[in-house]
Amino acid sequence: MKDILASLPGLNDKYSMFSCIAEDADLGDSKFLFSAEDGLTSKDMMTRCGSKMLDGHRPVFDAAAIEKMRAAGGKLIGKCNMDEFGFGSFGTNSAYGIPKNPFDLERSCGGSAGGSACAAAAIDGHVSLGASTGGSICCPASFCGVYGLVPTYGRVSRYGLVDCGNSLDKVGLISSDPELLARFLPVISGKDPREPTSCAQPELELKGERIGSVGVPEEQLEGVSKDVLSCFESSLDVLRGMGVEVKMIKMPSLKYALSTCFIISAAESSTNLASFVGMRYGQQEGDLSMRFDDYFTYFRTKYIGEEARQRILYGTYIRMAGLRERYYVKALRVRLHIIESYKKAFAEHDAILTPTMPFVSPKFEEIAKMTSDESYGIDRLACPPDVAGMPHISVPCGYDGSGMPIGMQLVTDHWKEDPLITFAKDWGKAFDVRRPEVSL
Amino acid sequence: MMIGLEIHVQLPTASKMFCSCPTTDAEAPNTHVCPICLGMPGTKPVLNKKAVECGIKLAKMLNCEIPDIMWFARKTYFYPDMSKGVQVTQYEKTVGSKGVYLLHGKKPIGITKIQLEEDPGKTKRVGDQSSLVDYNRAGTPLTEIVTDPDFSSPAEAREFLKQLITDIRHTIDLPGDGERSIRCDCNISIGKERVEVKNVTGLRNVERALTFEAIRQTKILKAGGKVDRETRRFDEERGVTISVRKKEYESDYGYINEPDLGVFHIGEMVRSISIKESPVNMAIRISREYGIDEKTAGQIVSTSVNLAKTFEAIAEATGSPQKAVSWTTGAISANWKAFEAAGKDPAGIVRITKRFADGDITDIEADIELKAYMTGSDIGTIKEQSAGLDQIVGDYLDSHPEIIDEIKKNEKAINRVIGHVMKETGGRYSSSDIVSATKGALASRL
Repeated sequence: MKDILASLPGLNDKYSMFSCIAEDADLGDSKFLFSAEDGLTSKDMMTRCGSKMLDGHRPVFDAAAIEKMRAAGGKLIGKCNMDEFGFGSFGTNSAYGIPKNPFDLERSCGGSAGGSACAAAAIDGHVSLGASTGGSICCPASFCGVYGLVPTYGRVSRYGLVDCGNSLDKVGLISSDPELLARFLPVISGKDPREPTSCAQPELELKGERIGSVGVPEEQLEGVSKDVLSCFESSLDVLRGMGVEVKMIKMPSLKYALSTCFIISAAESSTNLASFVGMRYGQQEGDLSMRFDDYFTYFRTKYIGEEARQRILYGTYIRMAGLRERYYVKALRVRLHIIESYKKAFAEHDAILTPTMPFVSPKFEEIAKMTSDESYGIDRLACPPDVAGMPHISVPCGYDGSGMPIGMQLVTDHWKEDPLITFAKDWGKAFDVRRPEVSL
Repeated sequence: MMIGLEIHVQLPTASKMFCSCPTTDAEAPNTHVCPICLGMPGTKPVLNKKAVECGIKLAKMLNCEIPDIMWFARKTYFYPDMSKGVQVTQYEKTVGSKGVYLLHGKKPIGITKIQLEEDPGKTKRVGDQSSLVDYNRAGTPLTEIVTDPDFSSPAEAREFLKQLITDIRHTIDLPGDGERSIRCDCNISIGKERVEVKNVTGLRNVERALTFEAIRQTKILKAGGKVDRETRRFDEERGVTISVRKKEYESDYGYINEPDLGVFHIGEMVRSISIKESPVNMAIRISREYGIDEKTAGQIVSTSVNLAKTFEAIAEATGSPQKAVSWTTGAISANWKAFEAAGKDPAGIVRITKRFADGDITDIEADIELKAYMTGSDIGTIKEQSAGLDQIVGDYLDSHPEIIDEIKKNEKAINRVIGHVMKETGGRYSSSDIVSATKGALASRL
């Protein structure tokens, strides 16, 4: 652990996975090291959510998940870079460095929890906390060739998670080792009286339940790159070899998940971000003798990044009178419909399986050329279970010709994290996960 | 003229709506605050159950429809005293809606809705250039009661508010010490456009603000002008309303469901909560049920709700509401305060009046027994005392025969007798005792 701590500055110079690193190199009684997405508050390190708006912000409390990891003997070694307030799929919208893919420095780690996946891929035996609103854990896990677990909505307290889309946000885990997911999920789970939506959960029991059958929604395979598709298909063979029944199914409503996710998260996040007006915490600069609304406008224009500003505008637009019903209220209804269609599928199958991302991690130069629609669209496979609040996991399942990792995503019914964890452990034994070469 | 009110009542909870900070007055600004009510990033709200109970009680009091499931909403607007940039309130499913409340037991005033919400902080101007923000109040639980525009005059709105506040205080045990405020937004339109006068406190100011607005708007319209739809405030010292801002349309607040709180299944709670009969309703009911005039019923209830209950028990026991009134407003109410404060059982009072009604004792005996029972003194002493009092009154009347003539002309002249006797006896007898002694003495002299 000492060596890892000592290597962090060098690692970060190369990969930019951290927005800040623990200053204190003393291990004390620590039993393990962990890192956390910068959207989770931490007492001893700044919490800036990738935003200039929160520069200098030192929260007075730890997020519940960080608090529990520390209580279990963990040492927080760094806060991970992320797309500003969770807005992005490539990790490129951070004011504190863009994480670089450990398999190819010219490629993205994905996002928004790109820094967490990067740390999980680059550091041995590491576990990182991330948050997922619409693919934000599974996307980077897939791009970085690691395991990313998103528990059921409400399984892990969101206390201390700086909200993106509150009714979608979940705190989860990213690691190259599935055993660590099994070890730390029980640590961070549980009811938290400070966070009401965590209080409706049944107790988490990891008793080794296995997935016997998976349904593969065939519509979701359309438009998936050849490399990803062939890799996914050979994974299906491996699954069959493991005794899992694989069936092609139809889930036509999943195609609405992306826009549903976008609308709900934009509506909610645009109200969350209303609290960021300077004056109280984080960045404090500015002329306070201005009229307050002029000051707010000045401040928000200057310190909120391009993508976040766009989402605020979208979110505000779809909440407006006359449009609210057409977008926001409709999206809430569609979400229920999507949950319903998953429930129907789970009557027949233990899990739903798709590739996690439609292609391997793109190069930064390709990302720069993407339109907004193209970049939002890449989460179309990863986000449906996020919309439904269902637990899901991305596991590495192959590599393309240039060695870039490919992942597949399994979804189970609400509160059924157990079979996902069992599957990841089994898969870890059956599938040879490659680690990137990390040289400093 | 259309007038409607929005009444904000701070609820008597010990802690704030969504955190455990106290709601009591703080010694210094920004001391009753925590990361939650300051809206620090990452905090989440936890709903105060007591606030919901108060909301349900008031919704019942206002005869509202109460849903089985309710939730909260975020109202977004930027203001320095709004720590989160959003106010948590209710929008689609409020704790109550479509209620009706009877003014003076007769005129129905429609209650559009009653909702639970949090108070923002306070902004205080300092000099010309700056303002200070105090978040102590931020997150204090409020209910907002919105009436239909059913009032036909500023005076009627005031009457309504007076009655409503009495009922609210009784229903949710809201202390009258003024620590928790009741504020009112007054909506008034003479022509088409509605003007809202924000944050008026006090009954008198509500009437003044509305009257000023009625006159201002009438003048504008008479001169052929147009009244602007806007928000104004009331300057208490000058008695005028002043434009604050042109009114945004309400839906511009971009309401969404509050995602951090979830939905609340309150059906069970609603069924388990029963409310006390409000004093206003009790007076009206007593007046109707027992055929006594409203004013007397109102007096009895306003002396004490328990006195009114005792009245009802006497009326039932004796079968004579009229006799019950005269007992209740006479000897009983004269000794009531100390009696109630001592926590004694009114059943004894009812027994004595029943014995009188059954003809077991005379009215004078009943009077003495009541006094003895209520004050806990010995019957003999009271007899002596009252004999003593009769003596004093008799002596005074005998030496001042002119008073008897005066009383014949004007009943109020009796006050002179009372005044004299009280002075002479140094407060040993209550005024009601002196009145009955005087009446008794006069009966043989008139």
